[in-house]
Amino acid sequence: MEVRVPTRPNPHLDIDAYDADADLMALNMGPQHPSTHGVMRIKLFLDGEVIVKAVPYPGYLHRGVEKLCEKLTFVQIIPIVDKHDYVAPMTNEQAIAVAFERTLGIEVPRRARYLRTILAELTRIGSHLLWLGTFTLDIGGTIGGGASVMMYTFREREKILDCFENLTGSRFHYNTHTVGGNRHEIPDGWVDQVKAITALMKIRVPEYEELCTGNEIFNLRTQGVGVVDADLALELGLCGPNLRGSGVDHDLRRDQPFHAYDEIEVNVAVAQGGDCHARYQVRIAELYESIRIIESIIDKIPDGPLSSQRPVKSHLGVKIKTGCHYHSIETPRGELGTYIIGGGDNKSASPYRLKIRPPSLHSMSALPYLLVGHTVSDVVAILGSLDPIMGEVDR
Amino acid sequence: MNEILAKLATEFPGVFDAENPDPSGALVPADQHVAVAAFLKENGFTKYVTVVGSHYPASGDEGVAEYEVGTVLRNPTRNSFAFMWRVRIPMDGEVPTLCPLFAGADWQEREQFDLVGVRFGGHPDLRRLMLPEDWEGHPLHKDYAIETAHPPWR
Repeated sequence: MEVRVPTRPNPHLDIDAYDADADLMALNMGPQHPSTHGVMRIKLFLDGEVIVKAVPYPGYLHRGVEKLCEKLTFVQIIPIVDKHDYVAPMTNEQAIAVAFERTLGIEVPRRARYLRTILAELTRIGSHLLWLGTFTLDIGGTIGGGASVMMYTFREREKILDCFENLTGSRFHYNTHTVGGNRHEIPDGWVDQVKAITALMKIRVPEYEELCTGNEIFNLRTQGVGVVDADLALELGLCGPNLRGSGVDHDLRRDQPFHAYDEIEVNVAVAQGGDCHARYQVRIAELYESIRIIESIIDKIPDGPLSSQRPVKSHLGVKIKTGCHYHSIETPRGELGTYIIGGGDNKSASPYRLKIRPPSLHSMSALPYLLVGHTVSDVVAILGSLDPIMGEVDR
Repeated sequence: MNEILAKLATEFPGVFDAENPDPSGALVPADQHVAVAAFLKENGFTKYVTVVGSHYPASGDEGVAEYEVGTVLRNPTRNSFAFMWRVRIPMDGEVPTLCPLFAGADWQEREQFDLVGVRFGGHPDLRRLMLPEDWEGHPLHKDYAIETAHPPWR
C-alpha cells in the first residue's frame, strides 16, 4: 500500500488574513475536556465543522523539573522522573539511569540488564493496554458497548502492576533502578508470576484485536484519519509507534541497543499508511512482540550480582564529567532521551543542565499538521491515536 | 560516526575535526548552523531529535555571558546514533532557526526560548510554550533563584 502524501498544512496560518469577514468559529477544546488525556487546550478555528487551524496550548502540568534537577544529585533525580510518564514510569527510570551510567562509564551487570529488559517489555504491554482502552473509549460507545474494552484492558494491566508490586513494593513510583544496577532482588515465585501474565496475554490480546480490527465502525473512525507521511514524521521528531505507523523501520531497541537487547532478536513492527489505524496496528503487533521477548528470556536470567561491583548509592566521590552527553532508550512511546551537561553544583555530582527529550511533546507538535481538514469528532481520534501523556509533555 | 565526521570535515574545514572529534559535539559558528543541519539532513540524518539551550553567566571581569545551544539529529537506520553539535552566542545574539528544515524545531525552539531565553532568528512564531504569556524572566537562567517566588503567582 502506498503512503498517501497530503499537502502539508501551514501551522502559522494568519487567521485574520484568511478570514477577513470573521466568519470562522473559534472553539476552545480543553483544558478540562475528558479526551485530552490530562490537561491541554487546543484552540480550533472552524469553518462549518471543518478545522482550518489548530493551536495547542500545553504547559498546564509544567512543574519545573529541569530547574530542580540542577540542584539535585543524580541519585535524587531518579525517583523524580517516575512522575513524568505516569503510564510507564519504569521506562522513565531506565532512561535516566542508562543516561547517567553511560555518562559516568559504569558497567551494569548482566543480571540487571536482563531484569531491566523484562521490566521494560512488561511496561510496554501495560502501557499499550491502557492506550487501547482509552483510545476505544475515546472514539465512542460503539465498540463492544462503550467502556467494555477499557474494562478488559485494565483487568489485565492490574496483573502487571501486581507483578511490579511484588518486585519493588510499590505499584507506581518504583525507584527500583539505581545508577549501576537494580535495587530489588527477584523474589521467589516472581518468574512464575511473569509467566502467568504472558500465558494469559496470549489468550487476551487476540480477543482485543478481534473486538477492534473487525469492527466496521472502528475502521471507519480510524482509516485515513490523521495521515502523517514519513518525511513529516521524521522532521517532527515523532518516534515509537507513531513513527513506525508511517512506514519508517526504526526502533532503538534494534538500532542502538540498550539493556540486553544486543543479545536478543527484536522484530520491529511497521505499518504503512500513517493514519490512526496504522498506529493501532503497530501497537497491537508490539503487544505480541513483547510477549514473545519476555517468554524468550524469562528462563535465561543469569546469576550474579544485581548491582555493579561498586554500587553508586551516594554521590560522594563520583563526578559527572564536564561536556555534553546525549543518551536515549526506546520507551512505549518512543525515544526518551536525556541531554546532560556535566559540572554543576554539589561538587559536580549535579548536572549543570539536564534536558529530558520527551516523545509525547513531539507527538503533540504534530497536531497543527494532523488536525487541519478534519472534523471536531476526529480530533478525539487523532489525539488518542498519538498516545500523548501530558505529564511528560510539560514536565 | 567516523564516516559522517569525515564528510563534514571536508565540507566545513576548521569546524569539524575528523581525527580528534570533540565528544561534546563540535562548536559551530552561528552563521554556519543552518548549513550544517542541511548537510546532515541530506546525508541521512533526517530525524529531528532535540535542541537544548543552556545559560553561562559571565565569569571573571572580562568574560561575556553566553548561551550555548546544542542540536541533536539522528539517522533512522540500523546502527543509528545521535549526532550533536553546539553553537555559542552572546546573550543579546540570535541563533538561526531550523524551522524551514525541520518542522519539529518549531515547538522545541519555542520551549528553549521560554525556559532558557535563547532567541532564534527567523522563527515564525516565537512565543512562550510552557509558561503563561505574562510570565517574567526565564527560569533556567543561572541567576533565576529557585528558592524565591517569582511573579505572577498562579
